[in-house]
Amino acid sequence: MFLITCPYCGPRDQSEFSNAGEAHIARPTNGEELSDEQWADFVFLRTNPKGLFAERWVHTAGCRRFFNMLRNTATDEILAVYRIGEPRPQVTTAGPVTPSGEAPIGSGNDAVKVMRPGEGTE
Amino acid sequence: MSEALSAVTSDSRRRAPLAHRTAIKAMEGAASMAERAFLGKLVLRVDPAAGDAAVTGIIGVSLPTRACTSTRQGETAILWIGPDEFWIITAPDAQTSLLAGLAEAMAGLRHQLVDVSSYYTAIELAGPRARDMLMKLTTLDLHPRAFGAGQVAGSMFGRTQAVLWQVEADEAEGGPLFRLFVRRSTADYLWCLLAEAGREWGMPRQAPLAGETWQLER
Ligand SMILES: [Zn+2]
Repeated sequence: MFLITCPYCGPRDQSEFSNAGEAHIARPTNGEELSDEQWADFVFLRTNPKGLFAERWVHTAGCRRFFNMLRNTATDEILAVYRIGEPRPQVTTAGPVTPSGEAPIGSGNDAVKVMRPGEGTE
Repeated sequence: MSEALSAVTSDSRRRAPLAHRTAIKAMEGAASMAERAFLGKLVLRVDPAAGDAAVTGIIGVSLPTRACTSTRQGETAILWIGPDEFWIITAPDAQTSLLAGLAEAMAGLRHQLVDVSSYYTAIELAGPRARDMLMKLTTLDLHPRAFGAGQVAGSMFGRTQAVLWQVEADEAEGGPLFRLFVRRSTADYLWCLLAEAGREWGMPRQAPLAGETWQLER
């Protein structure tokens, strides 16, 4: 449970919000010229970094507006919140270092954790 | 023909979502709960800079421009829901003529105006303990410094979503007065949850409905 600052309403509990995927995904304007692969890239493929990530959120239970957020996916640190249409702020954050020193991929949860030899085989 | 039509749409066939619950009071006014059924409710989506003149001309009060606040003129109030979304709450059955007047005043303006009176009902909570009851159900900061008279917030209350509006100040006679707008399908759930939240201040158990059996405390 953490606080998210809605750019309209102010700080509210996470339970009032829904995540709406990666931000700044521009819909192609030349749709009829795209191949299936290029469409699949637009519709399904996302960067999913471990670390700094720009994503959309919606204040579902409150003002119901969409907005953008810069979040460190490894630590859940929220670095910036900005309205749709505003430019992505320049921020710096420490690298996604976790106490266990996991590999720099995935979201950091167990489901995507890279297994090292001898791990998880009890 | 028109007479027959008005007879069908009159109150005789209309049932409030919480008609099966009776208004309850706890500990000599510590808290009370009642449904305010059939209030007129309109959703207005408009750019406030463009739509304010028309609204002011009809209702007599400006759109609230500060987030999570409201403005009020007699029986009619305008609640801020989002930067371009407002709820207009008015007396039961007063919304039809208000909607017609607003629609005429806003003709040619980019806007959306919808009557949602029967989609939501309102649970009214009053008394010095009303705030404490609400605090048990939501993560909103309801300290009087953060949430006072005229303020509005949509949030989660228990497992359902509702819009809370504080109508009267805490210093008012009888303590703060809140209205909680909830979709009619989850109104009974929220009613029971609130009654349970108020039990430590003497909120009585509601009589079981027909067909319901309750396990009584031994
Ligand atoms: Zn908001």
